[in-house]
Amino acid sequence: MACSCSCGGDTSIKLVYSCAGAANTGYLADQVARKLNHEGAGDMTCLAAVAADLSGFIESAKSADKNVVIDGCPVGCGKKIFEAKGIPFTQYVMTDYGVEKKKTGITPEVIDRVTGEICTAMNA
Amino acid sequence: MKIQILGTGCPKCKQLEANAREAVTKMGVEADIEKITDIDQIMELGVMMTPGLVIDGEVRSVGKVLTVDQIAAQLKGGK
Repeated sequence: MACSCSCGGDTSIKLVYSCAGAANTGYLADQVARKLNHEGAGDMTCLAAVAADLSGFIESAKSADKNVVIDGCPVGCGKKIFEAKGIPFTQYVMTDYGVEKKKTGITPEVIDRVTGEICTAMNA
Repeated sequence: MKIQILGTGCPKCKQLEANAREAVTKMGVEADIEKITDIDQIMELGVMMTPGLVIDGEVRSVGKVLTVDQIAAQLKGGK
């Protein structure tokens, strides 16, 4: 939760969404999003709620400085949701980070490495 | 009509509430204005930035202090 108020600071608001699909790549997307949230790189919120047109989530996405969509694979469900809503976003896809769908084991090391790379890209 | 102002009590939240009250008076509508300061309740609505404005259960703005005229337009049903 971020406060845009004068008392709450002027930091940029980055919201993070994960596809959280069924495959290993979806699991990795979810874990990376949670780690980014935990480390303060952004605030994780619900992609499904954006897809479902829930007004609070839609207005929050519209007002964020940056929406970071983490998709598991090139199917790009998160990307398609944001495109359908016409809301600006930046997409990262787990299979672009040396992870093969249905093959690569999602270990803590993989989660750490991919989170670090995305965190760097987010702040570039 | 029910209007909810979401925020923890900072100056922008107070300004949004004042603007909402003025808009209600200007438009001559009957409305209950409620302040919600509980963070958990705010986040349940999916609102990630305050202040927020909710009209009849629908979140209309997040992270902005709408002007009296902007709120009046919302009360008329515009977006």
